[in-house]
Amino acid sequence: MGSNKLRILIPAVFAFSALALAHDVPTGMHISTKSPQAHVAFEKGLAKMEMLHIQDGLESFRAAVQADPQFALGHIVLMFFSQDPTEQVVERDKALAARASANPEEALIIDWLANASQARYIPAIQAMNEALSKFPRDKHLHWLAGWWLLVDHNQSQHAVVMFEKVMQIDPKFADAYNEAAYCYARMGNFDNAFANIKHYTELVPNEPNPQDTFAEISRMAGRFEDALTHYRMSLRIDPSFHESQLGLGDTYALMGQQDRAREEYAKAIAVGSPVQKVLWSLQSAATYVREGNLAGADKAFNAVAVQAHEKDFVNLEAEAFRSMSYYQLDGTASFNLLNKAEAVLKEGHKVPQSLLNQELASVLRTRVERGLHDNNKDVAAAAFKQLQALAEANGADGLIGTALHGAAGAMALGEGNFAEAVNHFEEDDSNAISMRSLITAYEKNGQAGNANRLAAKLAALNVPLIEQAVVVPEFRKMRAAMAAKSNAALDPRAKYH
Amino acid sequence: MLLLVASLGASSEAKQLAVIVDKTNNTGGMTAADLTKVFKFDNHKWPDGRPVILVLRDPSTPEMQTAIQKLYKMQPEEFKALLSAHVSGVIMARSEEELLKSVESIPGAVGLVDVYSINGRVNVLKVDGKLPLEQGYFLKGN
Repeated sequence: MGSNKLRILIPAVFAFSALALAHDVPTGMHISTKSPQAHVAFEKGLAKMEMLHIQDGLESFRAAVQADPQFALGHIVLMFFSQDPTEQVVERDKALAARASANPEEALIIDWLANASQARYIPAIQAMNEALSKFPRDKHLHWLAGWWLLVDHNQSQHAVVMFEKVMQIDPKFADAYNEAAYCYARMGNFDNAFANIKHYTELVPNEPNPQDTFAEISRMAGRFEDALTHYRMSLRIDPSFHESQLGLGDTYALMGQQDRAREEYAKAIAVGSPVQKVLWSLQSAATYVREGNLAGADKAFNAVAVQAHEKDFVNLEAEAFRSMSYYQLDGTASFNLLNKAEAVLKEGHKVPQSLLNQELASVLRTRVERGLHDNNKDVAAAAFKQLQALAEANGADGLIGTALHGAAGAMALGEGNFAEAVNHFEEDDSNAISMRSLITAYEKNGQAGNANRLAAKLAALNVPLIEQAVVVPEFRKMRAAMAAKSNAALDPRAKYH
Repeated sequence: MLLLVASLGASSEAKQLAVIVDKTNNTGGMTAADLTKVFKFDNHKWPDGRPVILVLRDPSTPEMQTAIQKLYKMQPEEFKALLSAHVSGVIMARSEEELLKSVESIPGAVGLVDVYSINGRVNVLKVDGKLPLEQGYFLKGN
């Protein structure tokens, strides 16, 4: 029989351990797993994610739920970060099954993220806000909320509030500054964006990502030389940070130096994974469009299509054909390419259906736009009907939803329903093609102020996408010509006329 | 680099307004036309007979700008005149928190709030059968 002292001590040790497990980080999440291994792995996962070491973070979360299969918070956080749709569903269901064993904060996080993943946004937001209000000192909770608002809902203004709260709780939480910088850049507030990046680089001077962020925000702001400098600094810190090598290509492309862009892209492509090689080759091919060498663009995009076909990335093969369709001067050639894109999406392959549906939505929306452009309303209407059916069958979230809105806006604009066109295009207001049409819709709908603000935003859009390549350079030329016409005295060319 | 950067840009940053009522209000939803009547003081009572009390923010706030454009379809001066003529039927909240608290605590109250600010102590009404963030929701704007 043990002593009384021992009998008192053992429960005390257990009580202390349980308390330590539940509250070992006073500004972090309340974690209820009874498995020390799961707890450690979960904390490690969060720490890895904080440094954007995403694959390592995911592995740690997987280790956490393996150590404690009843760890509901571990399952739901793994669901949130995973990019594999199958894993997302499995982990969500496991989190819901284990919810009864969760503590109050964990239960609210599960209610928020599980509802959100099923597009039940009202209860999701209510649970998120209740968690934020009940646990105002939890930095990880606010950080997750910031990510969810920024990445899943594109709400920079709301997200930045969360990231700034994280900074208040823990001024050394590096990624909060990184995310806040992106929020401010997307809101057009580059002063605040650069202030946050500066802080981020000071907190983690030996990581490449702060320099990469500095470069990317500089590029977004049109400060191309600064962008090049910081991409190079990132590569000096970590030569294997291939995103920065890609960034050099993107920056030269946007600067108009297409030969140099292709050189830099080639270096990135050489070291990329199989899927990166194809994706980055699409960006390289777009450089020919930027310099107006359409035959060169055809050759490059066709080569990417072959490469994608060989690797069974049929969604990217279709994207190559769709990209070509944008710049074809002849409508028939454009439609033929869209037909090829649609055909490859229907071949047998291993690509998840969700990705095929997303690309098909983009193809159909492009057909609508081209049909209307070429005054072929029947083709546009038929493609729009197909797109509506696709959205009804598969849900209209994310890319399918924005494609549907872009196409619906184009249809409404074509029919002279300007208010309806505005409503739809506003749901797709980061796509250069929709932005250009939204400016027209605003003007026709009597919203001159909105039209002017959006025109300034489109003219300053510096993203390395094919839609930007086919819209923005022409749009800038048109604005410059209009400005010169409206005030010839300010046009330096006027003296030669 | 931003985490999960590939997902960005998939949705719009357009503001969406939730129509909120107190928890005891059983009205699940209404048409945009009926909602407009409520907010223009043309309908003073809920189906259960309780008086409608509007809780609004200052007309200069982004939420009210969207409401004036989409719901009232008025110029700002017209809207201010409408409010002046119905002072007894409206409570002006100085902040989003105050608006949420007022709606939560006053039976018959109805307000408009940014959907990302809602909490579990209020009900959210459907408009034309749709909740905020669903395709085709009525009360949204830049």
